[in-house]
Amino acid sequence: MRLNFWTVVSILAWLILIVLLVIPLGSVLLSSMQDAAGNFSLANYERFFTTPRFRTAFVNTLIVGFGGLVGSLVLGSIMAFCMARLEIKGGRFVSLLAILALVSPPFIGAYSWIVLFGSNGLVRQTLMSWGFFMPPIFGMWGVLIVFSFKFYPYVYLLASGALGNINRSLEEAAESLGMTPFKRVMKISFPLVLPALSAGGLLALIHSIADFGTPRLIGRGFSVLATEAYTLYSAEIGSNLGMATTISIMLILLSMLFVFGQRYMSRKNVYHGNLINKPVKKKLTGVWNVVAHVAVYFIALAGAMPAIIAAIYSIRRTNGPVFQPGLGLDSYRRILYNLADVVQNSLVFSAATVFLTVTIGTIIGCLVARRTNVNTSSLDATLMVPYVMPGIVVGIAFVAAFNSPPFAITGTALIIILSIFIRRLPYSVRSSASALRQVSPSMEEAAISLGYSPLQAFMKVTVPLIVPGIIAGGMLSFVTAINELSSSLVLYVGSTATMPVRIYIAINDGDYGTAAALSTVLLLISGAAIYCAFRLMGRDERALL
Amino acid sequence: MAYLEVENATKVYGGAARALDGVSLSVGRDEFFTLLGPSGCGKTTLLRSIAGFIELSDGNIKLDGRRLDTVPAHKRDIGMVFQDYAVFPHLTVSENVAFGLKARKVPAADIQRRVAEALATARLTDFRDRLPAAMSGGQQQRIGLARAMVIRPKLLLMDEPLSNLDAKLRVDLRDEIRDIQKKIGIAAIYVTHDQEEALAISDRICVMSTGRIQQIGTPQDIYSSPQTLFAASFVGTMNVLQRGTDPALEASILQDAPASLSQWAIRPEHIRLGEGDLPADTIRVPGTVEKYTYLGREAHIAAKTSVGKLVVQVADPEPSLTMEQGHPVTLAFRRGHVMGFDQQGARVSLGAR
Ligand SMILES: Nc1ncnc2c1ncn2[C@@H]1O[C@H](COP(=O)(O)OP(=O)(O)OP(=O)(O)O)[C@@H](O)[C@H]1O
Ligand SMILES: [Mg+2]
Repeated sequence: MRLNFWTVVSILAWLILIVLLVIPLGSVLLSSMQDAAGNFSLANYERFFTTPRFRTAFVNTLIVGFGGLVGSLVLGSIMAFCMARLEIKGGRFVSLLAILALVSPPFIGAYSWIVLFGSNGLVRQTLMSWGFFMPPIFGMWGVLIVFSFKFYPYVYLLASGALGNINRSLEEAAESLGMTPFKRVMKISFPLVLPALSAGGLLALIHSIADFGTPRLIGRGFSVLATEAYTLYSAEIGSNLGMATTISIMLILLSMLFVFGQRYMSRKNVYHGNLINKPVKKKLTGVWNVVAHVAVYFIALAGAMPAIIAAIYSIRRTNGPVFQPGLGLDSYRRILYNLADVVQNSLVFSAATVFLTVTIGTIIGCLVARRTNVNTSSLDATLMVPYVMPGIVVGIAFVAAFNSPPFAITGTALIIILSIFIRRLPYSVRSSASALRQVSPSMEEAAISLGYSPLQAFMKVTVPLIVPGIIAGGMLSFVTAINELSSSLVLYVGSTATMPVRIYIAINDGDYGTAAALSTVLLLISGAAIYCAFRLMGRDERALL
Repeated sequence: MAYLEVENATKVYGGAARALDGVSLSVGRDEFFTLLGPSGCGKTTLLRSIAGFIELSDGNIKLDGRRLDTVPAHKRDIGMVFQDYAVFPHLTVSENVAFGLKARKVPAADIQRRVAEALATARLTDFRDRLPAAMSGGQQQRIGLARAMVIRPKLLLMDEPLSNLDAKLRVDLRDEIRDIQKKIGIAAIYVTHDQEEALAISDRICVMSTGRIQQIGTPQDIYSSPQTLFAASFVGTMNVLQRGTDPALEASILQDAPASLSQWAIRPEHIRLGEGDLPADTIRVPGTVEKYTYLGREAHIAAKTSVGKLVVQVADPEPSLTMEQGHPVTLAFRRGHVMGFDQQGARVSLGAR
């Protein structure tokens, strides 16, 4: 076989997947099927299904998964419908709030909800002093509320895009055929946005299952698989890797099950919008107009509330970890003096990750888009796996795989970078492949017929056309990378702590001022990256998903 | 004489259907050669295999005596105008046109001059610094045309270069294309499914259907003596009638035609309403009017006769002329204008006239 460029790329791609995906997953599987002495045994699985604690966690995981799904679907559909079909004042501001909800740093969200609705929460206390009883937000319902407001943007952004692209003629045709408005929505509009709804719902579901910060802070005894896995792994005494890996396997299986379920459900539903007759936004009047505005602003503000609270709390005066009346920059000063290395870690790790994902992801993306064969399709399919792996699982898997030679890299910066890299790689491959598919192949052929060699044609025509999209994708990867918490939490050691990890520690230590200030810094960095990305490729919130 | 030679070109895409099925043709050094055929008949496939973007499953192609299959696409020096324009969206109009000249290391001053010339020819001078995204489909098509012509390739391939233009610009530009082609003297293959366009500009036309050649010939050949029923009905309009509906009348029309003749055909403009003096071999067919369509320059009368439905084309009809449905008419045409075809659609001689 002749060794051409693409063969080398595909071998390297498989190598990366084997080292960073197959080996860690294999180690997880192996470790879950060994007893303490290292012999093959299914005792862990038996324990998983017989121990009430794990069974409860399993059921709870399903509850938060579907609860988060339903909540996000409800909130997201309301938002999507109002924003796509009604005239809402300040629409741009509202979608900014949705972005804020999407990128607000992990943990701080849960914390902000506690600040307002916890036992001593501001809002709760105020209401109680007026004589309204309100239970504190802790427990299952609290987790579900937080998830719904945190993950609704997935549904909202995808569904509003789909709603805005339905050819109005279709609805007009249905109207002229005598369908009632309700029937019209159920028979025409709903099936057309169903693929977007189910894709957005899936994202909400998967993130709800994987999230462990919220149940940990707000759950108060309501434990899910992700928190159990972390507790088992990180217990000071009697850390139980075997059980942690068993739970990881269950988490992966659950996520995969839902991904394939969604794919199966929407296998036939591919509609291509046509932009000739776009729907117009309707202007409501009177009560309904007020209702729509209240609903939209309530959801958007509640979703963005954690980020806003964090920004406010970050400029409160503090004395040590205790808040004082008045405003001040004490928290930022503390970051500057004590935590500069954490900020630097975050920036360096994220930049390195983005560099890796963008270069490698783009090349693999070209391979997938331009050489469609069995090899590249299975490459594309395998990349779905890191896409759905919860961060906690990736962390535990990396520990299981890489703490002994030949790959003894636990405790280094490299392991954190690689763990984020493998999770982000699928996005990068997908986005560059789809950017490439938008460039008609006859464009390159035209250059070839004008006398350029295929490589020159690629460099002179295709590359300039896809570079803005790739840089924008890189910026968005940066946002995800710098906000990544769960895998880093498993993998960090003192010198490789990142901002999200520090926020987690600060909240656990009760040092809320520092947590809020760090969150605000994160938010500003993310905002800057998103701004650059939108400048490069046009404003498109859906690219954030 | 043969400059480009295609021998037995066959292309099978993944499935079973053949996009090209044993196509052989040759094009002269400065000939304007047109591929004419309905959508999906393999025109683009043939062009792309000549340009080198797809490999033939069988057969070979020679340009100027040299086999092309070993020459990579970018060394073939064959210009191509793409059906989907393929204009580079990140380059301005003049940069698009200059693109091929830069690959050929043409001196900058020459590039400027030739680009200006090409832009003027394609009526794009006013748009030279615009980006293609801000231009209409027709304008983009002209960029593609200018870009391919400016490099003076050995062979120019044009895949429906005028399909998106309005009727007037289409006529202007097709004449322009033909004039330039003759002036710089390059061989050109032009793809269209517009039969009038094909007749107007071609030296020779190749009529294709389902991956096969139906007929190659000058526009006059193709129109006046089509060799297959497909060519006859695709180019121009044609009354096609089954043999055996009125044997007595058919005997006088077809006379001693061979038994293999199963269909016969006559063009509407060869039929007239049968009054006055007519040549000796004229045949008269009585019928009744089914429909009268007034088209300004001409009118069509659809008439029901004992041999089947016949459409008559009347040139320069009197505006006052109308015909009621059921009005009796006599249709007249000369035997010499009748064409016969066998079951498979191949032309059959009508015998001695
Ligand atoms: N990449 C491909 N894979 C499979 N079949 C193809 C491919 N490209 C073309 N075909 C098929 O080959 C046949 C010929 O296609 P071609 O594009 O050459 O038609 P065409 O004559 O140019 O049509 P049009 O006038 O619509 O452009 C069609 O039936 C088409 O469906
Ligand atoms: Mg074509």
